[in-house]
Amino acid sequence: MREFEFLQPASVAEASRMLADLGEECRVMAGGTALMLVMRQRMLNPSHIISVQRIAELQGITVDAQGVLHIGALTRHADLADSALVRQHQPVLAAMAAQVANPQVRNQGTLGGNLCYGDPSTDPPGCLMALGAQVVLGSTRGQRVLAMDEFLLDYFATAIESDEIVIEVRVPPLAAHSRARYTRYKRTAAEHRPLVSFAAVLQIQDGICRDAQLVVGASVAVPQRMREAEAFLTGRQLDAAVIEEAADRVAAAIAPISDLRGSADYRREMVRVNARRTLQDLASNPSAQESP
Amino acid sequence: MSQHMISLEVNGQTVQAQVPARRLLSDFLRDDLHLTGTKRGCETGTCGACSVKLDGRLVKSCLSLAVQADGGRLQTIEGLASGDQLHPLQESFMQCGGLQCGYCTPGFLMAASTLLEREQRPSEAQIREALSGNLCRCTGYTQIVESVQDAARKMHGD
Repeated sequence: MREFEFLQPASVAEASRMLADLGEECRVMAGGTALMLVMRQRMLNPSHIISVQRIAELQGITVDAQGVLHIGALTRHADLADSALVRQHQPVLAAMAAQVANPQVRNQGTLGGNLCYGDPSTDPPGCLMALGAQVVLGSTRGQRVLAMDEFLLDYFATAIESDEIVIEVRVPPLAAHSRARYTRYKRTAAEHRPLVSFAAVLQIQDGICRDAQLVVGASVAVPQRMREAEAFLTGRQLDAAVIEEAADRVAAAIAPISDLRGSADYRREMVRVNARRTLQDLASNPSAQESP
Repeated sequence: MSQHMISLEVNGQTVQAQVPARRLLSDFLRDDLHLTGTKRGCETGTCGACSVKLDGRLVKSCLSLAVQADGGRLQTIEGLASGDQLHPLQESFMQCGGLQCGYCTPGFLMAASTLLEREQRPSEAQIREALSGNLCRCTGYTQIVESVQDAARKMHGD
């Protein structure tokens, strides 16, 4: 790893000024689990590291009067998994966070860092997209609030500007009669990165799907809403044939990554299976997180 | 380039040192403090041989910078025993054959001790999950799990 200067701003504004002054040669570090690897491999050789570890504005988890969770960017995956507030308001999010990578990385890696890295083979982005989460970005120019599909642009690419940092993630409450579930598939039990992820939020009344948010992640370059399958499900009785058809439509709608970890065909099949099982589970099991 | 004065607690003792920003926590422990119980294995965050506890949380020291630990409270494998009295996990690993070559053992012990602080009588599934960030290339996982179960019994009864 090459030499670098290590800077520790105390506020978003100070970090933003540093980023603006230093330009593309600097990188932001939160937990550091991902950045450290690419620096060790010399894929990135920043002249300056801006550690946001000490910025108080990026810490903590709160819920506001509207039931929106505000999750500070420095929240570690383990904090998210263990948070009583998150477990109460969005148990699906806590359950997702408990599966990220491995225990050590969950203790060190942060939600903000995870989102900024833009790695497709990880859990939080797809789950957050299905929940309708927003990313709050800050700089000396003020704040921007982006939906997940505005923030995540492509394979390892996000909409963050060079002088911005993530402040928090906002997760709205589920609509009434909604059930949420996040599932993933790993090729072997020892893998730490999902080959497929599928997040579903269904609003179900009297067995009829009233609304659906479906997101495929991990097997595609960037998590993707399955709008066609969502429209198909809406207004339909969630029986086995409808669920199978929805899963087929999900599998048909994606352009899977093909790499050493799995070919495009394999990933498409695993997406189909994962989607079908997840929807089946949601349809038949109201105890999967249901809002009042 | 940038040098940093850091102050942290390591196994109960205050340590102050000047380190370059790029010094990994694992290198700081081994090369500067000569605490060589913490192993460098893959150095890519995969194997967990370098696991230590920072402020009570299990982390991989090869994925951390020493400057990130400034002000923190660190426990390494050298801090697990109380003087000559081995930690029950260390006894159990010896008695149950929880190690073969031993290289991964410090990391497994740190991971297992973190688990037993949270869960007095973990299930096998909880043990396997808690150890999922650690690799044993001798593949003696069965005995490692049995060692943790044995230590849990010793520490917290049946």
